[in-house]
Amino acid sequence: MIARMVLNGRAREVEVRASQTLLEVLRDTLGIFDVKEGCDEGVCGVCTVLLDGRPASSCLVLAAGVRGRAVVTLRGLERDGGLHPLQDAFVRHGAVQCGFCTPGMLLTALAFLEREPRPDREAIRAALEGNLCRCTGYTKIVDAISAYVREANGDG
Amino acid sequence: MHPFEYAAPETLEDALALLHEHRDEAKVLAGGQSLVPLLNYRLARPRVVVDINGLPLDGVRADDGRLRLGALVRHHQLEESDTIARHCPVLREAARLIGNVRVRTLGTLGGSLAHADPAAELPAVMTALDARLTVASASGRRSIAARDFVTGPLTTALAPDEIVTEVEVSTSPARGFAVEEFARRAGDFGLVVVVALVRVDRGGRVADARLALGGVADRPVRAAAAEEALRGQEPTAAVLAGAAEIARDRLDPPSDAFASGPYRRLLAGVLGRRALARAVAGAIQSEGAEAR
Amino acid sequence: MADAIATREALRIVGHAVPRHDARDKVAAATAYAADWALPGMLHAAVLRSPYPSARIVKLSYARAAAIEGVAVVLTAKDVPRNTLATDVPGQTSAVGPLRATLSVLAEDRVRHQGEPVALVAAETLEQAHAALEAIEVEYERTPGVFIPEAALAAGAPQVHAAGNLLAQWRIARGDVAAGFARAAVVVEGEYTTQLVDAAYLEPESGVAWIDGDGVITIRVSTQVIEHFRDVAEVLRVEQNRVRVIGTYLGGGFGGKEDVTVEIYLGLLALKTGRPVKMVWTRAESLLARAKRHPYRMRYRTGALATGEIVAQEIDLLADAGAYAYLSALVLLYSTVTAAGPYRVPAVRAEARVAYTNNPPTSAMRGFGAMQTVFGYESQMDRVARALGLDPVEVRRVNALRRGDTLPVGQVIETHVALPELAERAWAALGPPTLPRAPHVRVGRGLACNFQPYGRIVWLHDWSSAWIGFEMDGSLVVRCGVPDVGGGQASSLCQIAAEVLGVSLARVSIHIADSALTPLAGTTTASRQLYMSGNAVLKAARELAAQILAVAATLLRADADGLELTDDAVVARDGRSLALPEVLRECARVGVPRSHLAVYHAPAGEPVDLATGSGKVFPDYTFGAHAAEVEVDTETGRVRILRYAAAHDVGRAINPQSVEGQIQGGAVQGLGYGLMEEVVVEDGINLTTSFATYLIPTAADVPDVEAVVVESGEGLGPFNARGIGEPPIGPPAAAVANAIADAARVRVTRLPITAERVARALGLFDD
Repeated sequence: MIARMVLNGRAREVEVRASQTLLEVLRDTLGIFDVKEGCDEGVCGVCTVLLDGRPASSCLVLAAGVRGRAVVTLRGLERDGGLHPLQDAFVRHGAVQCGFCTPGMLLTALAFLEREPRPDREAIRAALEGNLCRCTGYTKIVDAISAYVREANGDG
Repeated sequence: MHPFEYAAPETLEDALALLHEHRDEAKVLAGGQSLVPLLNYRLARPRVVVDINGLPLDGVRADDGRLRLGALVRHHQLEESDTIARHCPVLREAARLIGNVRVRTLGTLGGSLAHADPAAELPAVMTALDARLTVASASGRRSIAARDFVTGPLTTALAPDEIVTEVEVSTSPARGFAVEEFARRAGDFGLVVVVALVRVDRGGRVADARLALGGVADRPVRAAAAEEALRGQEPTAAVLAGAAEIARDRLDPPSDAFASGPYRRLLAGVLGRRALARAVAGAIQSEGAEAR
Repeated sequence: MADAIATREALRIVGHAVPRHDARDKVAAATAYAADWALPGMLHAAVLRSPYPSARIVKLSYARAAAIEGVAVVLTAKDVPRNTLATDVPGQTSAVGPLRATLSVLAEDRVRHQGEPVALVAAETLEQAHAALEAIEVEYERTPGVFIPEAALAAGAPQVHAAGNLLAQWRIARGDVAAGFARAAVVVEGEYTTQLVDAAYLEPESGVAWIDGDGVITIRVSTQVIEHFRDVAEVLRVEQNRVRVIGTYLGGGFGGKEDVTVEIYLGLLALKTGRPVKMVWTRAESLLARAKRHPYRMRYRTGALATGEIVAQEIDLLADAGAYAYLSALVLLYSTVTAAGPYRVPAVRAEARVAYTNNPPTSAMRGFGAMQTVFGYESQMDRVARALGLDPVEVRRVNALRRGDTLPVGQVIETHVALPELAERAWAALGPPTLPRAPHVRVGRGLACNFQPYGRIVWLHDWSSAWIGFEMDGSLVVRCGVPDVGGGQASSLCQIAAEVLGVSLARVSIHIADSALTPLAGTTTASRQLYMSGNAVLKAARELAAQILAVAATLLRADADGLELTDDAVVARDGRSLALPEVLRECARVGVPRSHLAVYHAPAGEPVDLATGSGKVFPDYTFGAHAAEVEVDTETGRVRILRYAAAHDVGRAINPQSVEGQIQGGAVQGLGYGLMEEVVVEDGINLTTSFATYLIPTAADVPDVEAVVVESGEGLGPFNARGIGEPPIGPPAAAVANAIADAARVRVTRLPITAERVARALGLFDD
């Protein structure tokens, strides 16, 4: 059957099996490896995509059920071929270690900041609670997001 | 996943006809946050998956003191909708406690109720609210009280060919509310969840109190004796603590690998008292505001 | 340690918080992890695992499975050329001694733990592979198992292996313990229990194998040990030069990818089918099948003078190896050597045993036996301090090891011990006390110190090698077989090479972790890579610099000693300079190599007799002190960490940002261990095979960790760095337990310290 979606801004039609998740189709059919497979039950957050702008676990979405909605993966953040300022903040603040959680963290953080542009550290932590990281202990991830928030709001 | 056929009906009638045809061999897919993990791990092996996300079941209507929520209302709508917050603010507080942000993006009200996890927030809230569920099958519709809907752990009064279409709650003004949850980790299912709804009269006495608990039995339970004990009382700390004790003492929660029954019982008492205290404070405040 | 460059001021790149080269790729999701790889015609593989913890395999037939559409091959034990895998010391090249740890690649007639591999399948699609697994018919006959180490060592227990259930035993005896207790003002006794823990990295075990040119079986895999190519060769009965392991950037390791995971299965399947094969474990499989951190039962008896000075300690340790040996004997050695803590204890008797059971196997995990003991010795230290009314910092200061002191095992501490400073600074970093926010909560503080070896046991004769070369344009290439687990292993090597050879970081390119194309660097384990490969790169860089400068000296008619490599040039004292490409062209003309391969050998030693306490076990140690402020809800037992500070002496921070990251991440893993993580096993059956039941901390469960980086300028690594990969995971559980004792006057001695356990200790409910 055919799954329809607007993937990173481009309308796509993909041949899928009924039993395939969006995660499988993105990775195995479309070769979009910026979504990772971590737990297959929506707990870890490494397969996060934005579905109509909201974070969703692509491992828990049947590809056939996407029904033409907008799907954004990390590469959808690129700005003129360069890094998004939040990606840059992650690099500068050492928020990346093994990097496996990073794409999901970035997407979750950006979706959150759309709704809440000036969060404090506690609010950032609460917003990230569904994205596990085993390496950083989260401090530098919160540092990076806080710094981005300050810069985006012109607070230096 | 084990292979299955996928159907995405566009009308309720078509969906119900499919369920009528396939009955036990069909699974209804709403938000997918409980079903798809089971499919991924091959623990569920339906022959047909009936995706109901295309059905017009996402309405939110408030009139005549009733709030009607379509079964496909997502948790994030419960969190963010001003209409819902105005008419039934306890839903916002409860929705914020559900799973993680991704679960709230896709998870649905009807799906959460039909999944009937004993520790889930929404079944407990609907039990406290005395909600009524409309369920439909090819042979017609019926209405079920929330407290009769869950019949055991992960089991409900739904027949295999039925789905939840709507949930209706009364919107009573000047009511204080609180949802208290104790989870082992942020965002997890609570070990215990307690929902308190309280209305006070002009004199500050308890006019009506509802207390529902999740995670303490095979289904959400109402603490009727505690509610009875509160009615007409001045809600002092001692009275609230006494009511929470009454609720706790009637429970015999199950033990599992993650928490013992006696500990869950302790939590039920403490969270019950805290929920009542917060609900009373809210009720007094809103009664005061109303009086002005 | 007469480093030419001794102070940070003189360093351009080392010692600076430079962004890591791999971070940019990772934020753009451009890093190709092991599972992010596909080849044309690739098969998908899966493992059939035992559902039972103890059973005989009566019958196994797979004709039905092999007939399923799309199934390329089904393999069982009889199809494995040599069905024995040695697991004693991954990557080892010299003889090890008495440890002979082996297991069957696929189970033959018996399974000893749930999840033990029984058969392999490769098929065109994963769905077909799973269908085939279900179609394999195995008839098991359940046999009695044993699931508690004490029970395993009792007479008449079911024997997990023919040689008996006692896998290993170490003993330390030093000083007159009885006399020590006799003069003690206070004697404190305690029993402590730690739990089974999973590495729980986010990237499951994964890899792709294919047969490359000249018949080389090539395996691209997420591993901490590319030297497993030798193990694959042994099992496949091919020569070692016919197997190549390409290690990917890992999505986390923490010891869980030290032992073999998917590589042997992939090698077998690629060899049998001649096609590329991919294997990715599911999360459930990862949590079920891979070796875990040992649970311990630890008994401590500690005697101290009124000053707080410890005078005697008796320690009894018992660990659960699960069903196979893996690295258990060595893990237990780490526990034994560290059991008395980073303190001068004149009289110690320690006995340590590890027993086989039919539980999940245990092996390497961050901390490697030196972290369970921290919960024991630091809980004891806190009890001593409380009994004597002493300040927690003071009691550590009184007892702290100093340079020149001898450990109970007989090893002399040869470098500076910064423990008192670390304890003071961590404690001070907590700031003014937080006031309880409600009547039902209490706030308290706790301190815990630790020491963790870095580098391998000296009698393993550890080494690493690295190659550095200039391209003609003056850009630099580093080749080193180091696997990068995410801690910035590769990036730190770039910093060292750039520093010594005077190029900017942007002009360094590094190739890592390829057993065929990069010089072998040994395992990314034991907090050893910065120490070992950092020294190898430093050595290669210095020797290469000398080669280049000698040529430049002739061009400049100057003394080579007066020349310096800096800013992509060779600069003389008088200010004259030559651009690097000019010098490199001259090197080519006169036949001086523009590259250099160096091997670094760690100081080696011979095995010691622990009981006589006669010598060196580890190259050196990293010391630390963590301080926690916690809030205890006295009605529910809930513990919330309000503030956390972690101080370590890292000798020299090559990249302070990476060092902080290691400390913060290790501390939070330690907090997870302390507060929530537990693999729950009932009669050998794992009840926590999902991330919804095996809980690791989220961002909302932990506070910011303040990393206090202390640089004593002493350590055995490059620029006097010490290893920092493992050390920060040690203290958190004890620091939290001590803080809870301070806040609520109850002591929890069993990990994890769940709210329920605190509530029980507070007497809030009856069982």
